[in-house]
Amino acid sequence: MSSLLSRYRRALIAIVILLVVSPLFGVVGAELVGYHEPLDVAAEALGLEESSIWSGLLPDYSIPGLPEDWLSASMGYIISGVVGVLIILAIGFILTRLSGK
Amino acid sequence: MHIPDGFLDPVTAGLCYIVAIAFIAYSIYRVRAGVSPEVASTASILAAGIFAAQMLNWPLPGGTSLHMVGGALSGILLGPWLGGLVIFIVLLIQCLVFGDGGVTALGANVLNMAIVDVLVGYLIYRALTGVGGRSRRWIGSFLGGWLGIALAGVVCGLEIGYSPSFPYGVAVTVPVMGLWHLALGVIEGLITALIVDYISIRAPSLISMGGAER
Repeated sequence: MSSLLSRYRRALIAIVILLVVSPLFGVVGAELVGYHEPLDVAAEALGLEESSIWSGLLPDYSIPGLPEDWLSASMGYIISGVVGVLIILAIGFILTRLSGK
Repeated sequence: MHIPDGFLDPVTAGLCYIVAIAFIAYSIYRVRAGVSPEVASTASILAAGIFAAQMLNWPLPGGTSLHMVGGALSGILLGPWLGGLVIFIVLLIQCLVFGDGGVTALGANVLNMAIVDVLVGYLIYRALTGVGGRSRRWIGSFLGGWLGIALAGVVCGLEIGYSPSFPYGVAVTVPVMGLWHLALGVIEGLITALIVDYISIRAPSLISMGGAER
């Protein structure tokens, strides 16, 4: 694991930077413009309605129970990002171990 | 481009699941033996990086927004099979942990982003870049990233637009999804080309990984 950290130091630093600035785009920016991607435009045109079956442990990259002001939402967004990155690295680490055998 | 629950006709959702499962199974079969620990750790870092990059929603004038998908990038760097698996892991975690993309729509989301985007990006890059040259690599990765997203958008439009009870929905959704992603995909193409160019200079051995057909 430590060799992984040193070999991919630049990539990991880039990931940390992405996570730290992500609320600017994912929370603050999204509220300014209103998060609205082309899929929403198409769905609106057909009158499709979202009906969520499973909203996840951290729904929409937020921590359930945190206040809804932008600062808490931003913290929740960053923590969600860190959790996601760690889960993916852990899966990758396990698969790497398995593939090495 | 993450389709939530409720947008898809059950038949469409089921068909997409079948295609997705078949592709993922075949990809696992293809990479099972031939992945060195070095390639596997690179793939893990790339998956984490793409997940983080997808959290940045870029709000755009005109009231829409986009985020990076990264399928073409993954295909160019790791080849279509491992590249597809990387995006699949990202989509699976987004769906299960964050509710981003519906559980019933996971097959469709895998088809659009882990199969279409990855394969189109990889094939365009391979066809245009050939044996190399920095400018050809730029053109190949730019067009791969751009058209990969555009075609993924078209396929996404087909999926949400089609249902047996309302088959003409595609006449609305395909142009909307296709044209928006053709426009927004330019940014994905630029980012893809920048990253491929950067990696080809900093770590040329990584670029040749996708070069060997795997």
